Parts: sequence; C-alpha cells; structure tokens
Amino acid sequence: MKLFLCFFILLSTIIFAQTDWQKWGKANYSYALKDNFKKRELSFDAKNPGRFVLKSLLDSYWFFISDVDGDNCAFSPTCSNFFLQSVSKTNLVQGTLMFFDRFTRDMDFIAKIDFYPRVPDGHFYDPISLYTLNKNEINYIPPSVVVNNE
Amino acid sequence: MKKTIFLILCYSSILIAQSVDKQKEVNLFSPSNIKKFADYLFCSHDYLRAALEYQRYLSTNHNDTVSYKIAIANSKIGNYSKAAKLFTSIDHKSHFFSDAQLEYYKALFQDEDYFELRNDIINADSSNQFLHSPRAKKLFYFSYLFTNDSLPSENQFLSPFDGTDFQRVKDFYNWKEAPPYKSSLVAGILAAIIPGLGKFYVKEYSDGVFAFLATAALGYLSYTDFKAGHDIRGWVFGGVAAGFYAGNIYGSIAAAQIYNVKIQFDFVNSLKIFLNAQDFFIPEIKFCR
Repeated sequence: MKLFLCFFILLSTIIFAQTDWQKWGKANYSYALKDNFKKRELSFDAKNPGRFVLKSLLDSYWFFISDVDGDNCAFSPTCSNFFLQSVSKTNLVQGTLMFFDRFTRDMDFIAKIDFYPRVPDGHFYDPISLYTLNKNEINYIPPSVVVNNE
Repeated sequence: MKKTIFLILCYSSILIAQSVDKQKEVNLFSPSNIKKFADYLFCSHDYLRAALEYQRYLSTNHNDTVSYKIAIANSKIGNYSKAAKLFTSIDHKSHFFSDAQLEYYKALFQDEDYFELRNDIINADSSNQFLHSPRAKKLFYFSYLFTNDSLPSENQFLSPFDGTDFQRVKDFYNWKEAPPYKSSLVAGILAAIIPGLGKFYVKEYSDGVFAFLATAALGYLSYTDFKAGHDIRGWVFGGVAAGFYAGNIYGSIAAAQIYNVKIQFDFVNSLKIFLNAQDFFIPEIKFCR
C-alpha cells in the first residue's frame, strides 16, 4: 500500500510539474500595426479649406508620430480622432475646447476606471456626443458595461 | 472463444432490445401531454416555448388557467403590450379575472405606458374594486416617478404605502421633487475662478486636480519665459495654458450635464430594482412548486 501511495504521489508530481521551458520561453511579439491603426482614413478632404488644413495636420501626426509611437491613447475614439470628430460635428472653436477638455481627462490616470465604460479592445469609451452641450445627445452608459462601438 | 463472444452479443441484443407494445404506445401530442409539457416549460422559465405549447393546447380545449398563463408568459418575456391585451381578454366569470385586471396594469406599467395606466384608473367606475385597490393605487402613484408630469401632493402620493415600503417611497418622492442636480452655470463659474474647481463641484476630483496642474504649470512656464525675454515660447505656453483654461470651463459645464444624466439614470435604476423586488406591488400566483 505504501509503495502504491508513494508511486501515486510521484506520478502526480510529474504530471502537474511546471515545465520551465514553457514559462521562460521566447515570447512571440508581433510588430505589425494593429487593426485600429489600419482603419485610419488618411485621405484629404478638399471640399472645405478649414477641414483640409486640419485633416492634413492630423494625417501628418498619425503618419509620422502616432503610428510610430504606438497605441498609447487610453480612449476610444483616440484624442486625435476625438478632435477631428468634434470639429466636424460642431465648429473649430467648440471642437478645440472639447479637445482641450478631453486632453485634460486623458492626463488623469486615476479615475478613468470609475467613469468610463470600455470597448472590447480595452479602451475607455468616450464619444463626442457626451460633450456637445446638447442634453438630448447624452446617452449615459455605466462603467461596468462593455460597449461595442463597431 | 468465438462461440462465447457470439453468444454474449446475441444475449445482450435481446436484453437491450426495445420492446414495442402497440397497446401501450403513448400519444405525446395528446392535449393533456401538450399541457404537461407546457407546464414543465413554464416552470423551467422557458416562457416563449411554454406560451406556444399552451396556445397549441388552447386550439382544442378551453381553459382559463392556460389563457392566464399565456398572458403571464408573454409578460415574462417582455411582450408587455401583447400581455396587456391577453389579460383584458380574460373572461369576467373566470377565477383569474381579478388577478388579470391587476396584471393588466402591471403590464401597462412595464410597457412604460403610464398615460394609459393613469387614464384607465382615473376613468374607472367607482364600483370597480380592483382599480381602487391599494395595489392599483400604488402603481398609479409610482408611475409619476418615471415621468416629468407634476407630482401629486406628498400625503396623497404616500397614502397607499405602509410598513417598510413607506420610508423608501418617501425618499423616492423627495428625490423626484428636488433632484440633487448640479448647475452647469455654477460649474462653469467655479472653473473660471479656479481651474479644476468646476470638476470638483461635479465630483470629478482627479480631473479637477489635473486640470489645475496643467493650467498652472503651463501658465507658470509662460510667465517665466516672458520674464526671461523668450517671448515666442511665452506666447506658445501661454496659448496652450489659455486652451486648457477655456477647455476646463467648457468641460465643467459638460461634466455637470453628464452628472445630471447619470444621477437620473441611477434614480430610475434604483426605482426599477425596488419595483422588481416588490414584484410591482402585485404578487404573482405561484403555479410552480
């Protein structure tokens, strides 16, 4: 009986033993651009001169800085997209004010979890509709909800 | 050896063979079996399929309990308007008539048709004991908490409530009468006086701190650059500081609006939780053990 128990314990140890080669193995990291970067629309809008200038600046920022820097904005839409959307939705002055407010909130690394719901890829969902000062457009979503904004 | 295996196989097929007795064959689609199956589905909370099976049963039989259960099943799966119609179709001679009357109002309430609910109760014949019961009155008054219509007086509103419900409903009434909203104007003015204070007012404390730090740091940089004679840098930092300052005023106004929507959302949520816990003041008949 003792022999059997001993054999059983030894066998189970072998079965459940940690395989170090798995733990310390090489991590497969992909340097390919993520899908949300690929979705970026880098075209120019020549219909409106103001929008053309703004879009050109944002395209340059995305191409030369943001895409190289990586996926660092905690929000969805990202701050640059938020700026573009807010200017398109309202006007240059209001859109700029909305952007400065968004940028301040982006700097706050403490309370995001308590305030914003998330999208499936983990970013905090913060659409422009909350900040246009139109009460009817505010659709409150509690932070516990995962939003599918596709 | 081969013989033994062959024998075992033969013997086991005889043992496990299905015995078909034509005389005892069960008709699974007989009305009583359909009802049994529907009851099983109903008690397993599979209300959609239960309603369909009950409907099939009703095509050959008349049964008040089944009609009532179809209405309940529709109410359970969120078909409130259909449930309301089915409850009204319950015959006044039926044993379930009084319950169906109350369930009808519950369905109207769940369908958020508060106007119809109140209209029916107000216009009801004074002899109609169901519509003047405390349960119907509770639903009637509670519906005011979900709309923007002017509230009845506190005494009138609280009259049907008693016991443990009373204090809770009184709190809801007080909230509705004077909701703890934040003023967008005050938030904007506070943010203009001290950057970040508007966010503090709407309880977004860390946002307020970061707004203050960003504005103060950039303002200080601008000041020192002007002082040192670096005018261009001074203007750049000053411009960005002004952007953060104005953006914070704007953001505080927006945050006050969002705060108000949030607390309204929380209020409605807590009303719904309370109502569900109270079963809409109309306890269900227990059909399942």
